[in-house]
Amino acid sequence: MQAFAPGIYPRSEELIQATRDLDRGRTTPEAVDEQVERDLAELVSVEQAAGLDLLADGMLRWQDVFRPLVEAAEGLETGALTRFLDTNTFYRAPSATTATPTLAKPLAARYVAPLTGPRLVTLPSPFALSHGTGVGPRMIAEGVLKPQLDALDAELVVLEEPFLAREDEADLSKLEEALKALSGGPKLALWLTFGNAQRLLEQGLADLPVHAIGIDFYATHLTDIPQDFDKLLLAGVLDARSSVLEEPREIAAFVETLRRRGVEEIALVPNGDLQYVSEQVAREKLGRLGKAKTATTEAAA
Amino acid sequence: MSEVKFLTHEVGSLAKPPWLVKTTAGKPVDESDIEHARSWGEKVGVGGYEELVESLQQDERDPEEIARWASRYCVRLQESAGVDVIWDGEQQRSEMYAWAIAHSNGFEPRGTVRSFDNKYYSKSAATGPVSLAEPYHNEEFSFLKSVAEHDLKIPITGAYTLAVWSYDEHHLPKEGRLGGGLSRKDEVEARRELTLDIARNLIRPNLEALIDLGATWIQIDEPGASTEEDELDVFVESFNVSVEGLDCMFSTHLCFSDYDLFFPAIEGMSGCRQYCVGFANYDTRELGTGGAERPGYEVISKWRDLPYDPILGLGVLDIHTDFIEPPELVRDRILYAAEVFGDPARIQVCPDCGLRTRSWEVAYEKLRNMVEGTRLVEEALNRVHAGARRN
Repeated sequence: MQAFAPGIYPRSEELIQATRDLDRGRTTPEAVDEQVERDLAELVSVEQAAGLDLLADGMLRWQDVFRPLVEAAEGLETGALTRFLDTNTFYRAPSATTATPTLAKPLAARYVAPLTGPRLVTLPSPFALSHGTGVGPRMIAEGVLKPQLDALDAELVVLEEPFLAREDEADLSKLEEALKALSGGPKLALWLTFGNAQRLLEQGLADLPVHAIGIDFYATHLTDIPQDFDKLLLAGVLDARSSVLEEPREIAAFVETLRRRGVEEIALVPNGDLQYVSEQVAREKLGRLGKAKTATTEAAA
Repeated sequence: MSEVKFLTHEVGSLAKPPWLVKTTAGKPVDESDIEHARSWGEKVGVGGYEELVESLQQDERDPEEIARWASRYCVRLQESAGVDVIWDGEQQRSEMYAWAIAHSNGFEPRGTVRSFDNKYYSKSAATGPVSLAEPYHNEEFSFLKSVAEHDLKIPITGAYTLAVWSYDEHHLPKEGRLGGGLSRKDEVEARRELTLDIARNLIRPNLEALIDLGATWIQIDEPGASTEEDELDVFVESFNVSVEGLDCMFSTHLCFSDYDLFFPAIEGMSGCRQYCVGFANYDTRELGTGGAERPGYEVISKWRDLPYDPILGLGVLDIHTDFIEPPELVRDRILYAAEVFGDPARIQVCPDCGLRTRSWEVAYEKLRNMVEGTRLVEEALNRVHAGARRN
């Protein structure tokens, strides 16, 4: 049993104020950098206190899950401000200026912070990054994501996929090609956030060439997990869009049901980026994620 | 044929001046803040602004009085830009969501979350039955009536947006959702209950109070309206519950959405006489009145075809960029819309959304060009009509 927290973590009230001040010319970039470092240190201590197995840097400088890569790529640019799924958060939708975008240079430490200890890194999935650009997922994988993966030192790279579960006619074969193009480096997880994965599971989601699959269990029914699921299951058991704090015993009971269904390897994760709750709420949720992991481990023993 | 005239109006917020922000935060103002008050007072013609300048030079200042000065400045900023129907940029409100929640019962704060980039909003949770602590726009409206020379339109945050921007710890179960235990139908029903509670117990009493004070145009802001595609009926129902039987012009403001989603749901929202909608964000900066140059406005024919013939408040200023739309670009956006509608009387002109993320300098120039672009359209259309009359 593992637990960790991929995705964008919320900024502290202090960092929020610092970035607001920066936008209004009332503080300096250096002062914001210092606050980012304090936020990062606090996040790592929260993750360690919760007993999470892989550290994550919370992507504290990422404006959205695409922007740094879009800005670092030749042939991609930011487009219109667009609502992110059914949230009140918006992102600049990537657009393509060539059919073959390429990463000019891997992301610097500003965007993939050095961490001491086993870590994960979150990147957009090739389908998500290509979404709406007119460029295929494989081209995005080969030109943009693969060079970035090759530059990473991480136990797990979580490919965040918010769109696929909401597609009326999802084509897993294109994603499969793209994921194959990303193989040979760190272990990969495909993390379907904020969406019902039922149809994709029926279409063979669990057979995609990745080490782990992430499922939102606030939108997906437990019984939709195939009986022969043989990958690491990133079980989305924290609702990142709700202020309600999860009960560790409820999560533990849920995990027990997953195990009875034959799922052997499980990692407890949120069902999406925790940035949809405030930092105070997210911190509480991470604590409960750790408690849930402990409770499930004890139950198994 | 009568002269073509397009009404121009604001949408909502403007940036708060530094001297208001610092006063509200209990921080001292500096010489640059005082100069800001002095220069803008002169520039837009705020009567008696010297009194504010003097006040800013004192150690002790009344934040509410300073906020009223900010209101005067924003009123004059828009009036001097030539905007026909105005508000005060919500200078006396904390923010469109937080202000409403702070004056209501049944909510508890849950911190701050990101809207985009370095923009954030406070978010609360509904934790009990919703009720109005006090009508929360009355003082503001009475004050603005006393200082505005142009007509007023009052923006008020709508029920659905307040609901969808809140967490709901009251109507949704706290446990039993994990593993698909709660159906989407149950979630929608919970949202409906919260939204209609807000419509009946917060919005409607506020509208009644404003009408009693003489309000003639109230804009129900619903930037969150299309957040959940399968809840558009809830949005429509909440609008109708809010305004039904009340004697006032009601409009709504929609922005940053896939507008196709609103159809056909808003066919049932006939109490809405005007839709103020942001389009410029999706448009090109090329001049021209054809579909190729105006992709951001392609969807407007759907408003044209609504059975109750509402007016369209045409968003022509992208509020998320410092790019100052030239009057000719504004002109072409309006001309395109007028051509699509075939009836200029059903088009009014406005920014995409509140301009609070822009500096006053940028907002002012954008608004001036919006007005100038509108005048260019009027001249062009009136020339055509005059020519037609001669022939």
